[in-house]
Amino acid sequence: MALFPISSAFEGDFCLKLVPVDTDNTMDEVCAAAAHHSLSRSVAPRPGHRIRVRRQGATSLLPRDLKLIDAGIAPMECLHFVFEREEA
Amino acid sequence: MSLLNRSDWYDLARTTNWTPSYVSQDELYPEVHAGSMGIPQESWEVYDEPYKTSYPEYVRVQREKDSGVYSVKAALERNRLFTDADPGWRSILKMHYGGVALAEYAAQQGEARMARFGLAPGMRNMATFGMLDENRHSQLQLYFPHELVSQDRQFDWAHKAHHTNEWGAVALRSMGDDIFLARDAVSTAIMLTFAFETGFTNMQFVGLSADACQTGDYSFAHLISSIQTDEARHAQIGGPVLQILIKNGKKAEAQKRIDIAIARAWRIFAIVSGLSMDYYTPQENRKHSFQEFANEFIVGQFQRTLLDLGLDLPWYWDILMKETEYMHHAYHIGIWTWRPTVWWNPAAGVTPDEREWLEAKYPGWNSTFGRCWDVIVDNLVAGRIDLTLPETLPVICNMSGIPICGIPGDKWSLQDYPLEHEGRTYHFGSEIDRWIFEQEPLRYRDHMSVVDRFLAGKIQPMNLMGALQYMDLGPGEMGDDAHGYAWVDKYADRVAAFAAANPKAA
Repeated sequence: MALFPISSAFEGDFCLKLVPVDTDNTMDEVCAAAAHHSLSRSVAPRPGHRIRVRRQGATSLLPRDLKLIDAGIAPMECLHFVFEREEA
Repeated sequence: MSLLNRSDWYDLARTTNWTPSYVSQDELYPEVHAGSMGIPQESWEVYDEPYKTSYPEYVRVQREKDSGVYSVKAALERNRLFTDADPGWRSILKMHYGGVALAEYAAQQGEARMARFGLAPGMRNMATFGMLDENRHSQLQLYFPHELVSQDRQFDWAHKAHHTNEWGAVALRSMGDDIFLARDAVSTAIMLTFAFETGFTNMQFVGLSADACQTGDYSFAHLISSIQTDEARHAQIGGPVLQILIKNGKKAEAQKRIDIAIARAWRIFAIVSGLSMDYYTPQENRKHSFQEFANEFIVGQFQRTLLDLGLDLPWYWDILMKETEYMHHAYHIGIWTWRPTVWWNPAAGVTPDEREWLEAKYPGWNSTFGRCWDVIVDNLVAGRIDLTLPETLPVICNMSGIPICGIPGDKWSLQDYPLEHEGRTYHFGSEIDRWIFEQEPLRYRDHMSVVDRFLAGKIQPMNLMGALQYMDLGPGEMGDDAHGYAWVDKYADRVAAFAAANPKAA
C-alpha cells in the first residue's frame, strides 16, 4: 500500500492531469480518482456510462478489478480513461 | 572640420581581428564560447552586417527614441487609461512585463557573448549595440510597470517573476537558458537573433503595439514600438552568420539550431500572444485571430526568409502549423483553471458573443474547447466556483515546462510522448519536444519540471497551497478571473434555466 502517481488522459479533457492513487487500488478505483479531477470540472458526465482505463497505446481495457500493483504500470505512466456504456 | 561619411571609414574602423601573439587563437576564442565549428577566422571576416551604424549615430538615435517614449508616458500619466482599461488588457500588460522585462537581461548576456566571442568583427560590432538595446528594454519595461505597483500588486511581478519558481517563470527561464544564455556566440546568433527575434518577438511586438493602439493604450504602444525598432536592427545579426555556415558546409548544423530554437520559442509565443489575441483583448479591439497573425507573419514572412537563405523548413513544420489551430486554446483553459498559479488575472473571453467569434475563426471550437467551457460555465452558473478550481497539478512537459495539452471534446486527442533515458522516464507534450531532448540529452536531462519537484517532495505541503507558496505567490498576487466572473451573466438562458430548476438557490 503506497501512494502512486499516474498521468490521466481523460476522454474529452484538454490536458494530462497528475492523479495520486494507491498501489492497492483496483482499476475501478483508479478510474474514480481520475474522474474526480475531470468529470464535472472540464468534462461533462455521460449518463449511462462508466469510466474504464487502458494503457496509452493499448487497444484493450484493463480489467476493472485488477489491482494497480499487479498491472505493471510505471509511476507517472499515461493512462487513458474512456467512457463505456454501462450495459457493455 | 568636415567629417568623413560613415561609409568612408566604417569598414576600416571595424576591422578589429588581429593575430594574437601572447595567447593562441583558441585561448582567445575558446570553441565552447565562439562555436566556430572549425570554420577559420578569415572565413568569418566576410561577414557583412546588413545594418550599419556608428556609436555616435546609435547614441543620437537611441536618445531620441528614449525621449519619445518618456515624453509620451509623461503626457499620458494623468489619463485614466489604466483604471478604465478592460481588465483583460491589464492582464496582458502584467503577463507581458513579468515574462519579458528580465528576459531582456538574459538576451543582453547573449548579445554580450556575441560581442566578445563572435569571430566576425561586424558581428561583434552589431552585438555591442544589441547588448545596449537589451539593457534599455529591461530598464524601460521595469520602469513603466513600477509606477503601477502601488495600484496593483501583480505589477510587482515585472521584476519578481523570473526570480521565483512560478511554473511559467520556470518555463521561460528554461527556454531562455537554452537559446540565449547557454550557447556559443554562433549558436546564439542563430537561435536568439534569427529564430527567436526575427521569427517571433519582432513580429509579436508589431502585433502587440497595434493592439495597444486599438485599445487606446498609447503609452504602451509607443514603448513597444520603440523596443521593436531596436529588435528589427539587432535581429539581423544571425542572417550573415547563417550565410557563412551554409557556404562552409555547415547547413545541417545551422538547420538543427534553427529547428530547436523555433520549437522552443513557439510554445512561449503561443501562450503570450495566443491568449492575448484570442481571449484577453476585448472582442471589439481584436484585429485578427492568433492563427491569422501567426500565418501572416510567421508563415508568410519568416518561412520566406528561411527559404531565401537556402535553409529548409523545420522537419516538424506541418505539426507546428496544425498546433496554430488548437494548442493555445488548450493552454488558455489550463491557465484559466490554474489561475491562482499565475501573476495575472486570466480573462476567460468566452461569452456567447466571443464564442461566436472563436467559432468563426476556428471552425469546430464549440464542439471541442467549447465543451470544456460549457462545463465550467454550468459550474459558475450554479455557484460552484470550487469546481472550477484545480485540486491537482497538470502533467508538465519536460522540455517546454508547459502542461501537456491536446484537443478536448468531440475531437479528443491527448497523449504523452514519453522517453526513457538513463533510467528516468521523461514526459513530453509533442514529438517536437521529445526530439529536442534527444538531440542533446546531457543538456536537458537534469532539469526537473514543477511536477517532478512536487513528486520529489520539494514542494511542501503537497497540495495547491504548498505549490502556491513554492511559487512565491502571495495573497493579492495570485490570479483570479479578470472580470470577477461577471461575464457568466451573459449566459442568460443558462442562468434562467438554473434558477427555474433550483428556486431555492435563486
